[in-house]
Amino acid sequence: MHKLIYFLKKIYVPAIFIILEITAIALYSTSSPYSEARLLTLNHYLTGWSSALFSEVSGYLSLRRDNIALTERIAELENRINAYQSLLPEEVELGIDLQSSQYVAGKIVSNSINKPKNYIIVNKGIADGIRIGMSVLSAEGYAVGTITNCSQNFSIASSILNTSLNVSVRLSVDGSMGLASWNGGDSQIIELSNISKYAKIAVGDMVEAIDFSEYFPSGTIIGSIESFELNKEGTMYNCTVRLAADMSRISNVILVDNLAIDEVRRLKREPAPAQEQLDMLPQVEISEE
Amino acid sequence: MKKERQYILFVITVLLTQILLLNHLTVSTYIAPLAYIVCIIMMPLGTSPLKMIAVGTLLGGVMDATMGTIGLNVIATLPVAYFRRPILHFVASFSDVDSDGEIPTVRRIGRFHFYVVAMVILHSLLFFVFEHMTLVNLTFIATRFVCSTAISLALVYFFIVIFTPKLTTR
Repeated sequence: MHKLIYFLKKIYVPAIFIILEITAIALYSTSSPYSEARLLTLNHYLTGWSSALFSEVSGYLSLRRDNIALTERIAELENRINAYQSLLPEEVELGIDLQSSQYVAGKIVSNSINKPKNYIIVNKGIADGIRIGMSVLSAEGYAVGTITNCSQNFSIASSILNTSLNVSVRLSVDGSMGLASWNGGDSQIIELSNISKYAKIAVGDMVEAIDFSEYFPSGTIIGSIESFELNKEGTMYNCTVRLAADMSRISNVILVDNLAIDEVRRLKREPAPAQEQLDMLPQVEISEE
Repeated sequence: MKKERQYILFVITVLLTQILLLNHLTVSTYIAPLAYIVCIIMMPLGTSPLKMIAVGTLLGGVMDATMGTIGLNVIATLPVAYFRRPILHFVASFSDVDSDGEIPTVRRIGRFHFYVVAMVILHSLLFFVFEHMTLVNLTFIATRFVCSTAISLALVYFFIVIFTPKLTTR
């Protein structure tokens, strides 16, 4: 009770001032049609302005949530494109090769860029359909890494900034193939080797994953050529490639399950057919006339 | 007691000048002098906020009754009266507001002119903003505000110069 009295004592003067001022404004606003209309217009203007301000602030605060929603939407749309592609005849293509792929949007929980072998932890796991070997792309579709281990709700991906990861790539303009790997230095630069000396190479050329790459869907952008030079023997180009994905700031990713890659992997794992098996194949007789 | 009488005389003189002379001035549409705010400016230092609110409401009410603007003068005068103490404190750097019952003067307040100008501008701004309440003809409104504020300020200083010696305790 004492606190209430103290509080009232403290605020009664400002309260009286506010009440009197509001009363005066109310009286003035009804004193003539002109002032009434003007005050109403002013009121609408102030209401509109404050609503716009609140809307902008709340829009800014929800950017993070919107970003996640957009990434999920991208994954969903790419799945749809994939489904439509499968309905079309083989010779008709919808842009890049999206056949036999599934997309899942994820968020990076942990990411390192300062070790020789960097890993990324993603907040999607077996429960979300994640499997070992799936590709990890940035929200823009650039190469980021490949899944190496999964738990029920989380996955670990080997980052492209991992000295153990060697990615088969090609130059998008020339088509010459080579091998890209990180040497443990700058987190935005990887090395590209084994590019033929006859390749028509230029600074700025895009570097992308080859067809049936073990780690990324065909055509996935890795980066762009920053510099290049012939090796000591003068037989091959050694290039530096600036990564397309900003590995230090990446937060949302798309996980791609490329079923075609699985087939390639299975074929690689299977042993070469024995001579007995080859002998069992039907023989074609050629008659001489 | 003599001081109170002098102050009442001062208020009556200001109000009569405003009502009988300034309210009927038709020199230009750009000039609408509001010199009566000097009554608030020259209120004794240390006047309680509640008294300030009462004086502000009364003064604005009287002016509204004579000018035919229901509420407009109260809207402009009441905040000036209520915020006089903070204005004295922040604009004029005068924190000793409760020290005595003397009127504000150049000798008592170091930045007296800042205080007077701030009070007049605040009053004129509120008055003309609420009088027009539109951004149409902004040039006209701005010119009217500037000219009227300048004339009001000159008249306020006129009253201060005339009455300060009489209102000051010797």
